[in-house]
Amino acid sequence: MTVSRPTSDAPIVSVRDLSMIFPTPGGQTVALKDANLLIMPGEFISLIGPSGCGKTTLLRLMADLIQPTGGELLVNGDTPRKARENRAYGYVFQAPALMEWRNVLNNVKLPLDVMNTPKAERDSRAREMLKLVGLEKFERSYPWQLSGGMQQRVSIARALAFDPAMLFMDEPFGALDEITRENLNLELLRLWRETGKTVVFVTHSISEAVFLSTRVVVMTARPGKIEGIVDIGLPHPRSEESREDPRFFEYATQIRELLKKGHS
Amino acid sequence: MTTLPSSPRPARRPSNLLPMLGVALAALLLYWPLMLWANSGQAARSLASGADLGCSTALACATQLRNPVIPAPGQFASGFRNLSVPPLAPTSAPYNALVTGGETLLGLALASVFGLVLATLLVRSRSFERATLPWLVASQTVPIVALAPMLAVLLGQYGVQGFVPKAIIAAYIAFFPIAIGMAQGLRSPDPLQLDLMRTYRASPAQVFGLLRIPASLPYLFTSLKVAATAALVGSIVAEISTISFSGLGKMLAENSRASDTVALWVIMIYGAALGIVLVAIIGGLERLVTRWRPPA
Repeated sequence: MTVSRPTSDAPIVSVRDLSMIFPTPGGQTVALKDANLLIMPGEFISLIGPSGCGKTTLLRLMADLIQPTGGELLVNGDTPRKARENRAYGYVFQAPALMEWRNVLNNVKLPLDVMNTPKAERDSRAREMLKLVGLEKFERSYPWQLSGGMQQRVSIARALAFDPAMLFMDEPFGALDEITRENLNLELLRLWRETGKTVVFVTHSISEAVFLSTRVVVMTARPGKIEGIVDIGLPHPRSEESREDPRFFEYATQIRELLKKGHS
Repeated sequence: MTTLPSSPRPARRPSNLLPMLGVALAALLLYWPLMLWANSGQAARSLASGADLGCSTALACATQLRNPVIPAPGQFASGFRNLSVPPLAPTSAPYNALVTGGETLLGLALASVFGLVLATLLVRSRSFERATLPWLVASQTVPIVALAPMLAVLLGQYGVQGFVPKAIIAAYIAFFPIAIGMAQGLRSPDPLQLDLMRTYRASPAQVFGLLRIPASLPYLFTSLKVAATAALVGSIVAEISTISFSGLGKMLAENSRASDTVALWVIMIYGAALGIVLVAIIGGLERLVTRWRPPA
């Protein structure tokens, strides 16, 4: 890794032989089979693969939104349940999932309201987060008044509001147009550098994964499993020029080969 | 990034006054021929039986009948004057409309509390829903005309008299749409929003108060509007079918016995106006409470 930030030796997420089997009417679906992965603090990890490869399943397992049927999973040095209860991660969903009756500021304040943060802190903390995502001028707007990209930025600000150690993102930019998506990618990298969070990012875009990540976990479907892990050696801080770097194409090709291998 | 003006909400949504006036105008244009046509049969029969109506043809007499099917403008005017002046006399329609309106509002309040509790239970427990929903539906198929006198007698035994039994009968009809609407509203949050609350380790009470209740408000107001008109019918029926000393229903019953069709028309119009006022009150509350919604 060429990240200049110090990383401690203890993994923040450790996945060992993790399996997830869903019962289905005609038998069962193996959504994830014997996955193994160690994530170090401060890393930006992308999970990439076709639909049905278990990338979202793996993220939801880490977040304790579902429970595994086999294997071992430690998050933040504890069970996923303890990690969730300790509010160790912020989760950004595919859709912004904003509360349409709360204005932008109050949406960012939602986790602080739930967590009974001292009242005086909530406003200043939420405003700080809105500034971080460049929406400080829109704090009084309601979600329906924002574009899709702005809504997703509000949801990122909301996920960061309570200062969790990790950020879990499930295809957060999947529904956005390419131009908006690339802008948000740059912004996300800046956020990651400024906050030092560990990010686990689910995507089905190879270029997005290469551009953002320190490592890309390539997954394949039926059964969902980890096919390989690619270290991305592009230097930080990255910019639009990083996309022109010859190594960018090398990594993309490497990932594409792995995806193909799982397909045959 | 695209930017929007900081206050993109339109200043005001277009008024529906003009379309409403259009409908009123159409009704007025239809009223005159319809009135002549509806009354001329009765006028012709009276003339044929030799009655002296002070007019020569059926068409001319159509505006002078004692108990017309549809009153003529002059008859409406005198009918309104007779029943509205002085407005707060025990025999005048405005006073009785206030009584009926009060019963309906009290009934709606009772129905809202009961409907909310019921909706919460329905949402919290599938087995409660399976056990009670058929009975709730059955409760609404009982004819209110049959039930009202019985409820009045029953409540009378416990000293509950006058205003309150009618409000309870109104509530009996109104709780159902509120309970069903609220149950649907409480279930309306997106699965992602529920997951989100879970990632915050929100307590069930927080999920309820911060997510389910606010998400259900639009549903609540829609069902309240349905419930308001149902409750109004309930309190009028209760006034007709129980021993009642005031209210639009009691006036309807009296004038129906006297075959005073002009009075019946006037009372009917007061009833309709009362319904419109009740729905408008709820609509105003809705706009006040759900300011966050985009203009329709």
